[in-house]
Amino acid sequence: MQYAALLVLAPLLLGLPQGPGSEPPGAGEEPVAKAGQYALGPATYAELGAFIRPSADELSFEDIGWRNAFWPAVQEARALGRPILLWTMNGHPLGCT
Amino acid sequence: MPVAEEVHFLFPEGEWALNRIAGDPAHELFKRYGEQVPAEDWNTGGTKQGVYLMGPNGEYLEGAHAASGRADHLRWRMERALERWAELEASAGYAGRPVPLGDAVAPPEVEEAPLALRVSLRDLPRADDPDAGRRVTQRDRRDRRWPSFKRWAWNQNWLTLEDPGVLLPPTLRKRSATGPLPDEVGPWQDLDRRFVERLAREVLVDNVRGQTPRWPASAVRVAELEARVLGTAGDLCTLEYRGRAHLETDAEAHADELVGQATPASYAPALFGQATWNSRTREFVALTLVAAGERSGAGAFNQRRDDLGPAPMGIVLDLHVPRATAAEPSLKPPGLEPAGER
Repeated sequence: MQYAALLVLAPLLLGLPQGPGSEPPGAGEEPVAKAGQYALGPATYAELGAFIRPSADELSFEDIGWRNAFWPAVQEARALGRPILLWTMNGHPLGCT
Repeated sequence: MPVAEEVHFLFPEGEWALNRIAGDPAHELFKRYGEQVPAEDWNTGGTKQGVYLMGPNGEYLEGAHAASGRADHLRWRMERALERWAELEASAGYAGRPVPLGDAVAPPEVEEAPLALRVSLRDLPRADDPDAGRRVTQRDRRDRRWPSFKRWAWNQNWLTLEDPGVLLPPTLRKRSATGPLPDEVGPWQDLDRRFVERLAREVLVDNVRGQTPRWPASAVRVAELEARVLGTAGDLCTLEYRGRAHLETDAEAHADELVGQATPASYAPALFGQATWNSRTREFVALTLVAAGERSGAGAFNQRRDDLGPAPMGIVLDLHVPRATAAEPSLKPPGLEPAGER
């Protein structure tokens, strides 16, 4: 089923015609950024960005309600009298890996 | 109280790094907690990356290093921690007040930066691999083998900027706050050279599957990014970006950096984006920059050894906005059918 994505994205990226009667993305719309066989422009970048971005499902870990620093969380836990769940990684777990 | 933190600040590996944070209250509390953790769960002498459950004064409830790879094990540990907490709460007389929902989605330095961009990375579809770029499925969630995430991997980073003006065409950057805005499409102008190189080295990296260091300076073959004014409406100025980059390491010139699983690598994307700048408040209200191109090679820790490419990879940078006001992203481009059960 990902072949469907390939069929859609590949012409966008490669600046190829997308079907009978269609024009290459960015045709008549300068500027288009190019690197090798890849081309991006006003007609393509938004949907490509939407494809790359994580979905709400993929970001569901954000729903947990994280604190982002251990010591302030300890102070808060002490004040509330509550336990702590610590997730720790090389690089901050909320996005530096 | 769920908290995410960089392990280097709590319990780094190596004697020198440990000595550097000796006496730090966060480290001392985590160390006291660690002294209560069963040896097989603490990884003495090794990394303390993991998930740990404790009372507010470091009392051991449960936890283990490298615990996040098995959801079923982690759930079991959390349930056992809650049982132990119920006993501790009663015996120690903890108040047990409700915990307000936290709202952190990024490290502290990101939340505090004058401008932060959320960087998302994903493989793009390719002819020889129907899995490339696909989303996680319920079957994936049931597959508890560690490397299976490679089939649906995506990742994110953050880029912080002290001066948002580096993203403006130089003539607009120099313009006074009260001067007239350009009212027609402007010329393309190169952005600040140091910023563009930083962007290329730190952001245009392959960490779809895992950690990758920034590119060495000598790997930057091409790093170009231009901006121009597209138009204005009131105080709002619409901008457009275009550029390209070519980053490449080779076995001879970068031999010292190609350690472990690392091989020579490259990424050569085109870049395009648009933004809206509020000239009165001097802040961006919207910004998206997309990069797409072919990558190759593997880093020491980015899990690419079995996928050396070349293969297409996409990166998108978005203005970091409070989650409550962020738009729901699209799951797929038009024409992509839901992946469903596989």
